[in-house]
Amino acid sequence: MAERFAVLPCNGLDKAVGPLAREIALAVVEACQGELVCPVLFSNLPARYTKALELPLIVIDGCGTRCATKLAVGHDLKVTRKLQVAEALKLMGESAGDSLAPDAERLALCRLLTERLLSAPEEGTALDSEAAFAEPVEYATVTHDKFIFRIPRQGYLFNENHCWARVAGSRARVGISDYMQQELGDLTFCELPEVGTEVGQFDAVGSVESVKAVSDIISPVSGRVVAVNPAVAETPEIINEDPYVHGWVAELELHDLESDRALLLEGEAYLALVRQKAADYRP
Amino acid sequence: MSDETFMGVPREKIPWFPTIDYSKCDFCMECDKFCPHQVYERREGEVKLVVAHPEHCVVFCRACAKTCGPDALSFPSKPETIELIKRLREEGNDG
Repeated sequence: MAERFAVLPCNGLDKAVGPLAREIALAVVEACQGELVCPVLFSNLPARYTKALELPLIVIDGCGTRCATKLAVGHDLKVTRKLQVAEALKLMGESAGDSLAPDAERLALCRLLTERLLSAPEEGTALDSEAAFAEPVEYATVTHDKFIFRIPRQGYLFNENHCWARVAGSRARVGISDYMQQELGDLTFCELPEVGTEVGQFDAVGSVESVKAVSDIISPVSGRVVAVNPAVAETPEIINEDPYVHGWVAELELHDLESDRALLLEGEAYLALVRQKAADYRP
Repeated sequence: MSDETFMGVPREKIPWFPTIDYSKCDFCMECDKFCPHQVYERREGEVKLVVAHPEHCVVFCRACAKTCGPDALSFPSKPETIELIKRLREEGNDG
Protein backbone atom coordinates (compact mmCIF):
# COMPACT_ATOMS: atom_id res chain seq x y z
CA MET A 1 0.00 0.00 0.00
CA ALA A 2 1.41 3.35 -1.07
CA GLU A 3 2.02 6.11 1.47
CA ARG A 4 -1.09 8.23 2.09
CA PHE A 5 -0.98 12.01 1.77
CA ALA A 6 -3.15 15.02 2.49
CA VAL A 7 -3.29 17.27 -0.59
CA LEU A 8 -3.74 21.04 -0.43
CA PRO A 9 -4.17 22.35 -3.99
CA CYS A 10 -4.51 25.69 -5.70
CA ASN A 11 -8.14 26.72 -6.02
CA GLY A 12 -7.62 28.92 -9.07
CA LEU A 13 -10.71 28.57 -11.21
CA ASP A 14 -10.13 31.59 -13.43
CA LYS A 15 -6.75 30.62 -14.91
CA ALA A 16 -5.99 27.65 -17.14
CA VAL A 17 -3.42 26.34 -14.69
CA GLY A 18 -5.93 26.13 -11.79
CA PRO A 19 -8.04 23.28 -13.22
CA LEU A 20 -4.79 21.40 -13.95
CA ALA A 21 -3.78 21.71 -10.28
CA ARG A 22 -7.24 20.39 -9.41
CA GLU A 23 -6.89 17.40 -11.76
CA ILE A 24 -3.52 16.50 -10.24
CA ALA A 25 -4.84 16.89 -6.70
CA LEU A 26 -7.80 14.61 -7.37
CA ALA A 27 -5.58 12.01 -9.05
CA VAL A 28 -3.09 12.03 -6.17
CA VAL A 29 -5.84 11.65 -3.58
CA GLU A 30 -7.38 8.80 -5.51
CA ALA A 31 -4.09 7.01 -6.12
CA CYS A 32 -2.95 7.08 -2.50
CA GLN A 33 -6.43 7.06 -0.93
CA GLY A 34 -5.45 10.30 0.72
CA GLU A 35 -7.40 13.33 1.92
CA LEU A 36 -8.21 16.43 -0.10
CA VAL A 37 -7.95 19.74 1.74
CA CYS A 38 -10.11 22.44 0.16
CA PRO A 39 -8.16 25.69 0.47
CA VAL A 40 -11.30 27.79 0.75
CA LEU A 41 -12.93 25.74 3.47
CA PHE A 42 -9.58 25.31 5.20
CA SER A 43 -9.13 29.12 5.31
CA ASN A 44 -12.50 29.49 6.98
CA LEU A 45 -12.67 26.39 9.10
CA PRO A 46 -9.21 24.87 9.62
CA ALA A 47 -10.47 22.54 12.35
CA ARG A 48 -12.43 20.65 9.69
CA TYR A 49 -9.09 19.25 8.45
CA THR A 50 -7.27 18.52 11.70
CA LYS A 51 -7.55 14.79 11.15
CA ALA A 52 -6.64 14.90 7.44
CA LEU A 53 -3.57 17.00 8.19
CA GLU A 54 -2.09 14.31 10.38
CA LEU A 55 -1.02 12.79 7.05
CA PRO A 56 2.13 14.08 5.34
CA LEU A 57 1.14 17.07 3.20
CA ILE A 58 1.50 17.67 -0.53
CA VAL A 59 0.94 21.26 -1.67
CA ILE A 60 0.04 21.89 -5.31
CA ASP A 61 0.36 25.49 -6.48
CA GLY A 62 -1.00 26.49 -9.86
CA CYS A 63 1.00 29.61 -10.64
CA GLY A 64 3.75 31.69 -9.10
CA THR A 65 1.38 33.43 -6.72
CA ARG A 66 1.68 30.25 -4.62
CA CYS A 67 -1.61 30.72 -2.72
CA ALA A 68 -1.62 27.12 -1.49
CA THR A 69 1.95 27.35 -0.18
CA LYS A 70 1.20 30.65 1.54
CA LEU A 71 -1.88 29.15 3.14
CA ALA A 72 0.15 26.18 4.40
CA VAL A 73 2.93 28.40 5.75
CA GLY A 74 0.38 30.74 7.35
CA HIS A 75 -1.06 27.79 9.26
CA ASP A 76 2.35 26.38 10.22
CA LEU A 77 1.78 23.22 8.22
CA LYS A 78 4.77 21.10 7.39
CA VAL A 79 4.99 20.56 3.64
CA THR A 80 6.41 17.18 2.62
CA ARG A 81 6.27 17.52 -1.15
CA LYS A 82 5.18 20.25 -3.47
CA LEU A 83 4.51 21.07 -7.06
CA GLN A 84 4.07 24.34 -8.90
CA VAL A 85 2.20 23.39 -12.03
CA ALA A 86 3.06 26.38 -14.25
CA GLU A 87 6.76 25.99 -13.51
CA ALA A 88 6.73 22.20 -13.98
CA LEU A 89 5.02 22.63 -17.36
CA LYS A 90 7.54 25.27 -18.39
CA LEU A 91 10.42 22.91 -17.57
CA MET A 92 8.80 20.34 -19.85
CA GLY A 93 8.50 22.93 -22.63
CA GLU A 94 4.73 22.96 -22.21
CA SER A 95 2.19 25.51 -21.01
CA ALA A 96 -1.25 25.49 -19.45
CA GLY A 97 -2.80 27.05 -22.55
CA ASP A 98 -5.75 29.41 -22.45
CA SER A 99 -8.70 27.13 -21.93
CA LEU A 100 -10.24 26.60 -18.50
CA ALA A 101 -11.25 23.09 -19.59
CA PRO A 102 -8.12 20.93 -19.92
CA ASP A 103 -7.80 19.08 -23.25
CA ALA A 104 -6.63 15.46 -23.61
CA GLU A 105 -3.00 16.49 -24.05
CA ARG A 106 -3.01 18.55 -20.85
CA LEU A 107 -4.76 15.77 -18.94
CA ALA A 108 -1.94 13.45 -20.03
CA LEU A 109 0.59 15.96 -18.66
CA CYS A 110 -1.39 16.02 -15.41
CA ARG A 111 -1.11 12.24 -15.16
CA LEU A 112 2.64 12.48 -15.68
CA LEU A 113 3.00 15.15 -12.99
CA THR A 114 0.82 13.05 -10.66
CA GLU A 115 3.10 10.05 -11.08
CA ARG A 116 6.17 12.15 -10.45
CA LEU A 117 4.66 13.64 -7.34
CA LEU A 118 3.81 10.23 -5.96
CA SER A 119 7.10 8.53 -6.74
CA ALA A 120 9.46 8.86 -3.81
CA PRO A 121 12.30 11.33 -4.37
CA GLU A 122 15.22 9.51 -5.96
CA GLU A 123 18.21 9.25 -3.76
CA GLY A 124 20.64 8.54 -6.58
CA THR A 125 23.86 6.82 -5.79
CA ALA A 126 25.36 8.78 -2.96
CA LEU A 127 26.80 5.58 -1.50
CA ASP A 128 30.49 5.84 -2.44
CA SER A 129 30.29 9.53 -1.85
CA GLU A 130 29.53 9.32 1.85
CA ALA A 131 33.13 8.40 2.59
CA ALA A 132 34.53 10.97 0.15
CA PHE A 133 32.57 13.78 1.78
CA ALA A 134 33.13 12.63 5.34
CA GLU A 135 36.41 14.48 5.92
CA PRO A 136 36.05 16.76 8.95
CA VAL A 137 35.77 20.45 8.15
CA GLU A 138 37.78 23.16 9.83
CA TYR A 139 36.11 26.55 10.02
CA ALA A 140 37.17 30.16 10.10
CA THR A 141 34.68 32.64 11.57
CA VAL A 142 33.62 36.21 10.98
CA THR A 143 31.95 37.86 13.95
CA HIS A 144 29.71 40.89 13.78
CA ASP A 145 27.69 41.96 16.83
CA LYS A 146 26.09 38.78 18.06
CA PHE A 147 26.34 37.11 14.66
CA ILE A 148 28.98 34.54 13.89
CA PHE A 149 29.44 33.36 10.31
CA ARG A 150 31.39 30.19 9.68
CA ILE A 151 33.38 29.54 6.52
CA PRO A 152 35.26 26.29 5.81
CA ARG A 153 38.94 27.04 5.47
CA GLN A 154 39.65 24.45 2.79
CA GLY A 155 38.03 22.14 0.30
CA TYR A 156 35.12 24.43 -0.61
CA LEU A 157 34.58 26.79 -3.53
CA PHE A 158 32.10 29.65 -3.34
CA ASN A 159 30.29 31.97 -5.69
CA GLU A 160 29.22 35.48 -4.77
CA ASN A 161 25.64 34.20 -4.52
CA HIS A 162 26.67 32.61 -1.21
CA CYS A 163 26.50 29.04 -2.43
CA TRP A 164 29.29 26.48 -2.10
CA ALA A 165 30.63 23.43 -3.87
CA ARG A 166 32.68 20.79 -2.10
CA VAL A 167 34.69 18.77 -4.58
CA ALA A 168 35.68 15.12 -4.17
CA GLY A 169 37.14 13.46 -7.26
CA SER A 170 34.88 14.02 -10.25
CA ARG A 171 31.94 14.99 -8.09
CA ALA A 172 30.88 17.94 -5.98
CA ARG A 173 28.19 18.55 -3.43
CA VAL A 174 26.53 21.94 -3.41
CA GLY A 175 24.67 23.90 -0.77
CA ILE A 176 24.22 27.36 0.74
CA SER A 177 26.63 29.17 3.02
CA ASP A 178 26.23 29.95 6.69
CA TYR A 179 25.88 33.64 5.78
CA MET A 180 22.99 32.90 3.42
CA GLN A 181 21.13 30.64 5.84
CA GLN A 182 21.36 33.29 8.57
CA GLU A 183 20.21 35.98 6.20
CA LEU A 184 17.16 33.91 5.24
CA GLY A 185 16.36 32.80 8.76
CA ASP A 186 14.46 29.63 9.68
CA LEU A 187 13.98 27.58 6.54
CA THR A 188 10.55 26.11 5.92
CA PHE A 189 11.15 24.37 2.61
CA CYS A 190 13.97 23.16 0.43
CA GLU A 191 13.22 22.29 -3.16
CA LEU A 192 15.61 19.71 -4.59
CA PRO A 193 16.54 19.42 -8.25
CA GLU A 194 15.64 16.22 -10.07
CA VAL A 195 18.31 13.57 -10.37
CA GLY A 196 19.56 13.61 -13.96
CA THR A 197 19.14 17.37 -14.45
CA GLU A 198 21.96 19.07 -16.33
CA VAL A 199 23.02 22.17 -14.44
CA GLY A 200 25.10 24.98 -15.91
CA GLN A 201 27.39 27.08 -13.74
CA PHE A 202 25.24 29.71 -11.98
CA ASP A 203 22.00 27.87 -12.83
CA ALA A 204 19.53 27.32 -10.01
CA VAL A 205 19.97 23.90 -8.45
CA GLY A 206 16.90 24.05 -6.24
CA SER A 207 15.64 26.70 -3.88
CA VAL A 208 15.24 27.41 -0.22
CA GLU A 209 12.32 29.11 1.37
CA SER A 210 12.11 30.76 4.78
CA VAL A 211 9.42 32.78 6.46
CA LYS A 212 11.20 35.83 5.04
CA ALA A 213 11.96 34.93 1.43
CA VAL A 214 12.49 32.35 -1.28
CA SER A 215 15.97 32.13 -2.71
CA ASP A 216 17.40 30.16 -5.59
CA ILE A 217 20.40 27.99 -4.87
CA ILE A 218 22.84 29.15 -7.55
CA SER A 219 25.18 26.32 -8.44
CA PRO A 220 28.87 27.30 -8.35
CA VAL A 221 29.70 24.41 -10.69
CA SER A 222 28.33 22.83 -13.84
CA GLY A 223 27.41 19.15 -13.94
CA ARG A 224 24.72 16.52 -13.90
CA VAL A 225 22.74 15.96 -10.71
CA VAL A 226 23.54 12.41 -9.58
CA ALA A 227 22.11 12.55 -6.08
CA VAL A 228 20.02 14.79 -3.88
CA ASN A 229 19.78 15.00 -0.12
CA PRO A 230 16.27 13.89 0.88
CA ALA A 231 16.98 14.79 4.51
CA VAL A 232 16.96 18.54 3.80
CA ALA A 233 13.69 18.27 1.88
CA GLU A 234 12.18 16.46 4.84
CA THR A 235 13.78 18.69 7.51
CA PRO A 236 15.04 21.98 6.03
CA GLU A 237 16.25 23.09 9.48
CA ILE A 238 19.26 20.84 8.89
CA ILE A 239 20.54 23.55 6.55
CA ASN A 240 20.20 26.14 9.31
CA GLU A 241 22.05 23.92 11.75
CA ASP A 242 24.79 22.53 9.53
CA PRO A 243 24.87 24.27 6.14
CA TYR A 244 28.21 22.89 4.98
CA VAL A 245 28.05 19.17 5.74
CA HIS A 246 24.67 17.59 6.50
CA GLY A 247 22.91 20.50 4.78
CA TRP A 248 24.16 19.63 1.30
CA VAL A 249 21.44 19.88 -1.32
CA ALA A 250 22.64 18.09 -4.45
CA GLU A 251 25.57 16.08 -5.70
CA LEU A 252 26.83 16.73 -9.23
CA GLU A 253 29.03 14.78 -11.60
CA LEU A 254 31.27 17.67 -12.67
CA HIS A 255 31.52 18.80 -16.29
CA ASP A 256 34.36 21.30 -16.31
CA LEU A 257 35.62 22.19 -12.88
CA GLU A 258 38.74 23.96 -14.14
CA SER A 259 36.73 26.35 -16.25
CA ASP A 260 34.17 26.85 -13.46
CA ARG A 261 36.91 27.51 -10.93
CA ALA A 262 38.02 30.68 -12.74
CA LEU A 263 34.81 32.37 -11.54
CA LEU A 264 34.78 31.03 -7.97
CA LEU A 265 36.28 32.01 -4.64
CA GLU A 266 38.41 29.86 -2.35
CA GLY A 267 37.67 29.88 1.38
CA GLU A 268 40.05 32.75 2.13
CA ALA A 269 38.59 35.04 -0.55
CA TYR A 270 35.01 34.19 0.44
CA LEU A 271 35.93 34.95 4.04
CA ALA A 272 36.99 38.44 2.92
CA LEU A 273 33.66 38.88 1.10
CA VAL A 274 31.65 37.81 4.15
CA ARG A 275 33.71 40.13 6.34
CA GLN A 276 32.80 43.00 4.03
CA LYS A 277 29.10 42.00 3.95
CA ALA A 278 28.97 41.47 7.70
CA ALA A 279 30.10 45.04 8.30
CA ASP A 280 26.67 46.30 7.24
CA TYR A 281 24.70 43.17 8.10
CA ARG A 282 21.16 43.73 9.28
CA PRO A 283 19.14 40.54 9.62
CA MET B 1 26.71 52.37 -3.58
CA SER B 2 28.76 53.06 -6.67
CA ASP B 3 31.68 50.94 -5.46
CA GLU B 4 29.65 47.71 -5.41
CA THR B 5 31.33 44.94 -7.38
CA PHE B 6 30.28 41.45 -8.40
CA MET B 7 33.05 38.96 -9.14
CA GLY B 8 35.49 41.84 -9.37
CA VAL B 9 33.44 43.77 -11.92
CA PRO B 10 31.67 47.04 -11.11
CA ARG B 11 28.03 46.10 -10.65
CA GLU B 12 26.74 48.81 -12.96
CA LYS B 13 28.60 47.21 -15.87
CA ILE B 14 26.59 43.98 -15.57
CA PRO B 15 23.14 44.42 -17.12
CA TRP B 16 21.41 41.79 -14.94
CA PHE B 17 17.97 42.87 -13.76
CA PRO B 18 14.32 42.01 -14.44
CA THR B 19 12.33 43.52 -17.27
CA ILE B 20 8.59 43.92 -16.76
CA ASP B 21 6.37 43.01 -19.71
CA TYR B 22 3.61 45.55 -19.14
CA SER B 23 1.30 43.73 -21.56
CA LYS B 24 1.21 40.88 -19.03
CA CYS B 25 1.82 42.58 -15.66
CA ASP B 26 -1.33 42.95 -13.55
CA PHE B 27 0.40 44.99 -10.81
CA CYS B 28 -0.27 42.39 -8.14
CA MET B 29 3.04 43.56 -6.56
CA GLU B 30 4.06 40.03 -5.56
CA CYS B 31 7.58 40.58 -6.98
CA ASP B 32 7.96 43.84 -5.09
CA LYS B 33 6.71 42.25 -1.86
CA PHE B 34 9.08 39.36 -2.44
CA CYS B 35 12.33 41.11 -3.40
CA PRO B 36 14.36 42.02 -0.32
CA HIS B 37 16.69 44.28 -2.33
CA GLN B 38 14.31 47.12 -3.31
CA VAL B 39 14.78 46.54 -7.03
CA TYR B 40 11.18 47.54 -7.72
CA GLU B 41 9.34 50.71 -6.80
CA ARG B 42 5.66 51.47 -6.86
CA ARG B 43 4.33 54.50 -8.71
CA GLU B 44 1.11 56.44 -8.91
CA GLY B 45 -0.70 56.43 -12.25
CA GLU B 46 -1.18 53.87 -14.97
CA VAL B 47 2.19 52.11 -14.63
CA LYS B 48 2.11 51.21 -10.95
CA LEU B 49 5.44 49.38 -10.75
CA VAL B 50 8.88 50.06 -12.22
CA VAL B 51 12.37 48.55 -12.02
CA ALA B 52 13.75 51.54 -10.16
CA HIS B 53 17.04 50.10 -8.89
CA PRO B 54 18.38 47.54 -11.38
CA GLU B 55 21.80 47.76 -9.73
CA HIS B 56 20.35 46.26 -6.51
CA CYS B 57 19.38 43.08 -8.34
CA VAL B 58 21.48 40.06 -7.35
CA VAL B 59 23.34 38.82 -10.43
CA PHE B 60 22.00 35.38 -11.52
CA CYS B 61 19.03 35.58 -9.13
CA ARG B 62 15.67 35.17 -10.87
CA ALA B 63 13.68 34.25 -7.82
CA CYS B 64 11.14 37.10 -8.15
CA ALA B 65 10.07 35.69 -11.54
CA LYS B 66 8.77 32.62 -9.73
CA THR B 67 6.36 34.75 -7.73
CA CYS B 68 4.91 36.22 -10.91
CA GLY B 69 1.52 34.68 -11.69
CA PRO B 70 1.17 36.23 -15.17
CA ASP B 71 4.83 35.43 -16.08
CA ALA B 72 5.60 39.05 -16.89
CA LEU B 73 9.24 39.13 -15.71
CA SER B 74 12.26 38.28 -17.85
CA PHE B 75 16.02 38.28 -17.31
CA PRO B 76 19.01 38.47 -19.65
CA SER B 77 20.72 35.34 -20.94
CA LYS B 78 22.90 33.75 -18.29
CA PRO B 79 25.64 32.41 -20.64
CA GLU B 80 25.96 35.85 -22.26
CA THR B 81 26.21 37.46 -18.85
CA ILE B 82 28.94 35.03 -17.80
CA GLU B 83 30.87 35.77 -21.00
CA LEU B 84 30.53 39.49 -20.38
CA ILE B 85 31.80 39.14 -16.82
CA LYS B 86 34.78 37.09 -18.00
CA ARG B 87 35.61 39.71 -20.63
CA LEU B 88 35.30 42.60 -18.19
CA ARG B 89 37.51 40.78 -15.70
CA GLU B 90 40.21 40.31 -18.33
CA GLU B 91 39.96 43.96 -19.36
CA GLY B 92 40.22 44.90 -15.68
CA ASN B 93 43.37 42.81 -15.32
CA ASP B 94 44.94 44.32 -18.42
CA GLY B 95 44.15 47.88 -17.46
